[in-house]
Amino acid sequence: MLNRDKSGPKRNSAKVVNESQVNDVSSNSIALAVKNLSKIYDSVAGKVVALQDINFTVKKGEFVSIVGPSGSGKSTLLNMIGALDRPTSGQVYINGIDIFSLKDSEIATMRNNLIGFIFQSFNLINRTTVLKNVKLPSVISGMSTSEANMRAMKILEALGIADKATQKPVNLSGGQQQRVAIARSLVNNPAIVLADEPTGNLDTKTGEDVFDMLKTLSHKFKRTIIMVTHNPELSESTDRSILIRDGRIEQDVIN
Amino acid sequence: MNPNDIFGLAYDALVDRKVRTILTVLMVVLGASLVVVINGLSAGQSAFLQQQFSSLATNVITATSGQRSYYGGGSSQASLIINDIIVNKIKALPFVSDVVPQYTGSVTIDSYGNVQRISVTGMNPTKLTVQLPNLEFVDGSTLEPNDRSAAVVGDTIANPAGATTPFVTVGQTLKITYSYSDPAGKQEQEVRNFLVTAIMKPSGNTRIDNSLVINPDAANQLLRKSGRYDSLLVQTIDDSYVNTVQDEITSLYGKNIGTNTPQATLKVRQQATSGNAAFVEMIGIIALVVGAVGIVTTLYNSVTERIREIGTMKAIGAQNSSILALFLVEAALIGIMGATLGVTIGIISGYAMTGLSSQQGSGGPGFNISSFPPIFLPQDLIKVWFLSVLLAIGAGIFPAWKASKLSPMVALRRE
Ligand SMILES: Nc1ncnc2c1ncn2[C@@H]1O[C@H](COP(=O)(O)OP(=O)(O)OP(=O)(O)O)[C@@H](O)[C@H]1O
Ligand SMILES: [Mg+2]
Repeated sequence: MLNRDKSGPKRNSAKVVNESQVNDVSSNSIALAVKNLSKIYDSVAGKVVALQDINFTVKKGEFVSIVGPSGSGKSTLLNMIGALDRPTSGQVYINGIDIFSLKDSEIATMRNNLIGFIFQSFNLINRTTVLKNVKLPSVISGMSTSEANMRAMKILEALGIADKATQKPVNLSGGQQQRVAIARSLVNNPAIVLADEPTGNLDTKTGEDVFDMLKTLSHKFKRTIIMVTHNPELSESTDRSILIRDGRIEQDVIN
Repeated sequence: MNPNDIFGLAYDALVDRKVRTILTVLMVVLGASLVVVINGLSAGQSAFLQQQFSSLATNVITATSGQRSYYGGGSSQASLIINDIIVNKIKALPFVSDVVPQYTGSVTIDSYGNVQRISVTGMNPTKLTVQLPNLEFVDGSTLEPNDRSAAVVGDTIANPAGATTPFVTVGQTLKITYSYSDPAGKQEQEVRNFLVTAIMKPSGNTRIDNSLVINPDAANQLLRKSGRYDSLLVQTIDDSYVNTVQDEITSLYGKNIGTNTPQATLKVRQQATSGNAAFVEMIGIIALVVGAVGIVTTLYNSVTERIREIGTMKAIGAQNSSILALFLVEAALIGIMGATLGVTIGIISGYAMTGLSSQQGSGGPGFNISSFPPIFLPQDLIKVWFLSVLLAIGAGIFPAWKASKLSPMVALRRE
């Protein structure tokens, strides 16, 4: 198993990103901008400051990994970026759109159009086929059945699992299931793909295969990907590593 | 999301939980079929009653002494003795065209060793048409009002249900036995032979079909009536005088003579029937509501079990309204399946129940709710169908609302 507390980027080849270089929120080359983002959880045990004044931008086509000790706020950050939850303060811009200025129903549409989610535990609907899982975001967007099918099949082919289209996810290996989930995250051609420990439920070899697939997506297909991981080796193989500690960015390095 | 896609997802979810779906559908089936059966049977009974009374003349009042006892009999403590004096008095009332006195008693009849226990009426057989204007007799019948040993037999007695050979035919002898206890309390029997001179064709009225009519003088003697009639048929010149004559009789004798009309009896019986039906229908509706509670439970469990799936759908952009619609459609599908099956099963079991009870049927005049062919009115069936479906959708509202309000964060919950 991975040791969570030893995660974090190695420093040798590190180079700190200059904030001012990527400051323009609505620039065409910026996929994501996070501005003064804070999240405070109000629980019975008292207030938990999960994120404190987070600022960073991600360029289109960039493959960013987020690392940090357990409980440092990585998932919280990813959930805010993915508009699953509203922040206490601050803004998130995706393709220049200030998503939290929108109504809940519009945010749902944004999630559908602009964001692709890859979950640690795949979150596939097991009673139905791979194809139906993959096309679900298209179906939600109201796309016609024939176009949704066509798109889903194209992505399944690109990811090398087209032969599994009519199978049920439960009959696939973990690695194959995560590939199905990756296919689902891509089907609506999102601005960013978010992955919270996508290899966390997989063995090392399969995890590396899935990671290689994400890398291919990034390099060959110019996808913007933000991935939370506990694996320092994987983190180093991404374009850029952001280290979070106690809800703050402690380090932001280009690998 | 397109309605088609929501429908498909809902259908898949129901198929995935087959057993539970079937059980929930069955609850709706139970309620819907119960309501359909009750409606069908009571409509059938109501129509039967209507038809029974439609063959009876509307200008005839039945008068009995005091609170009438159903089976008559000489030993009843009548508060007023109805004899020829009273018959003549009533006959003299304005608007009365005829009065037919009747003796009734319970006897056993014996034809070649076959025995039936029946109700016998002593009256002038030519006056049968006073009450049943359209009454006809089988070929070879003759009415002999003055023949003290002549008997007229009702259709059901002559041709019992299910029997291959008739009980009696015209020209045959019938032995009639009247059993009674003498003033000392000793059991006695009076036995006499009668000749069947006429057999009625089916009259449309079960009570008449089950009756045997003999000469009044013979009945007076056989049933030991000493000239006390059990009832009078009072014919008015026109049915518009029925109430007037009824009032007239009441003002003469007060509560000592009870009067009744077929219309009043029909009304009372129909009220009793529909009262019963309303009660049993209530049970059916309760069953439907229980079914609805079942739907609430099933769907609520389903929401809890599918919390991650719902979260995932929301995380990938499903609107609250789509999730709401998804679960409402699941409820509606359960309702539609349950209602359709329930209505079908209700119709089938309605016929099955009446078929069954007429097979074992005594053929007697008892007003058992299931002894008449059911009538299923389309508007009743449609009403039950929609009620079931609406209840099911109503039951789905809470779980569906609950599901729609779930946070997309639940998709990230660790198992
Ligand atoms: N819904 C919540 N309510 C209250 N506190 C929360 C909630 N979610 C997270 N937290 C707290 O916020 C902090 C950050 O949690 P988060 O899940 O973002 O950490 P993480 O970096 O993803 O950890 P891990 O590596 O274990 O996944 C933790 O202290 C956590 O307990
Ligand atoms: Mg986490």
